[in-house]
Amino acid sequence: MADIILDNIYLILLLPLWIFLIIMLGRFFSVYVNKAVIWSLTLLSSFLGAFLCGSVLFKFNSGIIPENEIPFLKINDFIINMGIHADKTALIFAFVLFTVSFIVQLFSVSYMREEKKNYRFFALLNLFNFSMAGLLFSPNLFQTYFFWELVSIVSYLLIGFEYGKNEKSNASKKVFIINRIGDTALIAGIILCSYFLYSYSGNASLASLSFADMNVISTILYAYTSTPLFFIICGLFITAAAVKSAQFPFYTWLQDAMEAKLPVSALLHSATMVAAGVFLLIRMIPFFNLAGITLKIIGLIGIVTAVMCSLCASSQNHPKKVLAYSTSAQLGLMFLAIGMLNIKAAVAFFAAHAFIKSLLFLTLPDKEKCWNYWNFILFLLGGLALSGLLISGMAAKEMIYQSLNPVYSVIFCIIAFITAFYITRIALVISHEYGLEKTKPDKTELTSYILLILMNIILYWYLRNHYEYKVAEPFWSALTAWVVVYILYTKNAFWKVPILYPLSYNGFYLDKFYTGTIVKIYNRFTGFLARIETGIFSNYIPLLWCAKLPVKITGWIEENIINKIVKLTAFGLKSLSHIDMKAQSGNIQRYNAYAFIIVTLILSCLIIAYMVMLSYIGG
Amino acid sequence: MNGIENPIVFYPAAIAMILCGILTIRFKNIMHSLLAAIAVFFLAGMFFYVLGSEYNAIIQIAIYGVAVPVILGLGIMFTNLKNSYRAGDKNKTPVMKYLIILTCGIFILAIIYLLMTSYVILPDSFSYALPDETNSREVINSFASGIFIRYVWGFELVSIILTIIAAGLTMFKKRGGV
Amino acid sequence: MSEITIYHYLFLGLALFVIGIAGSIISKHVIKVLISIEFILTGVNINFITFASYCDCPKFNGYITALFYMAIGALELAVAIYIFYLMYSKKQSENIEKYGDL
Repeated sequence: MADIILDNIYLILLLPLWIFLIIMLGRFFSVYVNKAVIWSLTLLSSFLGAFLCGSVLFKFNSGIIPENEIPFLKINDFIINMGIHADKTALIFAFVLFTVSFIVQLFSVSYMREEKKNYRFFALLNLFNFSMAGLLFSPNLFQTYFFWELVSIVSYLLIGFEYGKNEKSNASKKVFIINRIGDTALIAGIILCSYFLYSYSGNASLASLSFADMNVISTILYAYTSTPLFFIICGLFITAAAVKSAQFPFYTWLQDAMEAKLPVSALLHSATMVAAGVFLLIRMIPFFNLAGITLKIIGLIGIVTAVMCSLCASSQNHPKKVLAYSTSAQLGLMFLAIGMLNIKAAVAFFAAHAFIKSLLFLTLPDKEKCWNYWNFILFLLGGLALSGLLISGMAAKEMIYQSLNPVYSVIFCIIAFITAFYITRIALVISHEYGLEKTKPDKTELTSYILLILMNIILYWYLRNHYEYKVAEPFWSALTAWVVVYILYTKNAFWKVPILYPLSYNGFYLDKFYTGTIVKIYNRFTGFLARIETGIFSNYIPLLWCAKLPVKITGWIEENIINKIVKLTAFGLKSLSHIDMKAQSGNIQRYNAYAFIIVTLILSCLIIAYMVMLSYIGG
Repeated sequence: MNGIENPIVFYPAAIAMILCGILTIRFKNIMHSLLAAIAVFFLAGMFFYVLGSEYNAIIQIAIYGVAVPVILGLGIMFTNLKNSYRAGDKNKTPVMKYLIILTCGIFILAIIYLLMTSYVILPDSFSYALPDETNSREVINSFASGIFIRYVWGFELVSIILTIIAAGLTMFKKRGGV
Repeated sequence: MSEITIYHYLFLGLALFVIGIAGSIISKHVIKVLISIEFILTGVNINFITFASYCDCPKFNGYITALFYMAIGALELAVAIYIFYLMYSKKQSENIEKYGDL
């Protein structure tokens, strides 16, 4: 069984792509209009992906890495392969991805029922799955980059799904543009690293940066750890990961992504888009291991993001914004765990966070969806898990906490406190604003919630059996936070802290800083260029004359030569089509005659060629 | 001389056959061309017999010489014979006709060239099947082994197709056509 | 007159084949076209039987193939006649030029 799955592991990657193509082409040629077919196809693809990943994971203890690679690009001795490299980390990530996307698709079956053109939505979800799975299973960094770009493009399409609305299309554009920074950083790092290896290692096969050779590459790089080049490469990779995972200087795009629909947000914030940065860091660990300072920088970025975004989240009133900031904060914790070289904790926390965050997003109220007791209870459950008091969230957070040094552990406790604070606060705010309605939830939606909670419990059970951890300070600080919030709420005594409140409400003014400086500088620059053009070039007559001369020459050529050629071609085509119309008379005999004549011509040509050849040989 | 290499049998029959074939196309009246076609089929059956396959000859004469003309005659009976084959289509240029005849000539030349030059189609140990060696019993034996042993599946397939088409035609007829 | 060789029979089949093709292309009457198609099949059959007699002595595979061809050809004719009947009742003409409306 396992062998069949291991041999055909590329199916995990290809199934979503097939389904995407089936849906899009089928709708394009209007082959079928049945919505149930589309839903069942998407559900089937993600379920099969999850099933395959899970079964491979269970049988994976032997540690064999199945590799299917085909050469994709070849320049002399430099070959880039394309294929599948499945190791345990990638399989865990992919399993979480497919499970979450299965549940999210199940949810969106009922959520998107009234939506027009929802087949496009499902097709894009499948493409998202494909691109993310391709990123996870990529055998070298070049394929990673390819799918990295694909992920950002698909996220652009999904966030701007209702492109008719102005704010949504603007938000999707902003997300895409900020993601471009990370993409550029990644490709720069890859090219630098590849070029460096190609010139200095003397082994061209290493230059394709295959993950299988990562240890060899890092041993080669070990001699160059003190050079600035190494730090530039590491810095570029860290920048790419930080942009994708919405870390400290770049976390503003995640708040814009809240314009997306609920299922998209649930997918984007949990297992797909933001996970890419964490995954890249985990893959590049052999690099960062060479110089301890890079790991320290990663940890620092993580903890700074966690503190800032937790503070920001605690003052927002829009539930989606709170969850977006909290996503940044939790990803910061993952970065912290990676910086402490606690990979298992990072992966465990990633899985726990994916399940919890998608649960939180799916239970949120919306224009199309009201907020009832079921949602409230499930949201509270998710909040408890996120703040580290229940099931998988608790286990994963304690796993991270164990490896921290004293300073970080104190900050970690503070973060846990703030996390619990904002998640309780936003639950109360939502129930206050939207009110609790006595409606029954949709059956499929309820199924998806129950599945998510089930996954959380399974993860908790697994972590509890396989890893040691103890309930420590973060748990108690989160518990105090819940108590504090409850007391504050009953006394109606939320107050606004003078300096901190405006800072956190505006996200530490980072977004305004970007719009105020970079966008303004860009506008100034373009304005300056425009002034140069209008002020100098248009007023200086010889220059104008110089510009006009070629236009005149080309105008003459166009009138006298190209027009005539075009007319002649048109005439020729017209007469050709006339002949063709005659030929297409629909007369069977005529077709027969053409076929016979052509066959005879071919035959005689062959014979003549044969005779010529014979005479040539004979002569 | 044996029948298979006897020019006294071959040349008159072959000339008659080709003539009848050309006449089939050239006759204005469709009934006349049908009669010429019957002659061609009978002569073809005769050639099968000369070539040593009585069984094929019998089937050729039974199917093509008798049954097919009956069907064709039935088909002709549908049509209105009186104003059949109006002398219309005069405005049509006969370019296609001459082109086809020219192509036929080229085709014949090409095939003749191929036949005369390619020794590939004939095996090295090229042997005539003399009538003395192939008696009719041997042929029947080979037929039996061919149909019922070597090509049994093809035989069954053909019979199934025949049955299906016959049944389909009657069903179409009952429903009153397309 | 010299002896008759395999080539004579092959040329006979070829001649019948070419007559069939030319007739099926040139003639305007539907029944004539059908007869010409039968000519093509007959020419092919003559070639088959010739080769079988001359080169395939104990097995005679060509005989059996020719048999199949005959059966299929007769059947094809029956179907074609039926189609002709339907078309004729629709168009009231046996001229093949009037049948070709794509």
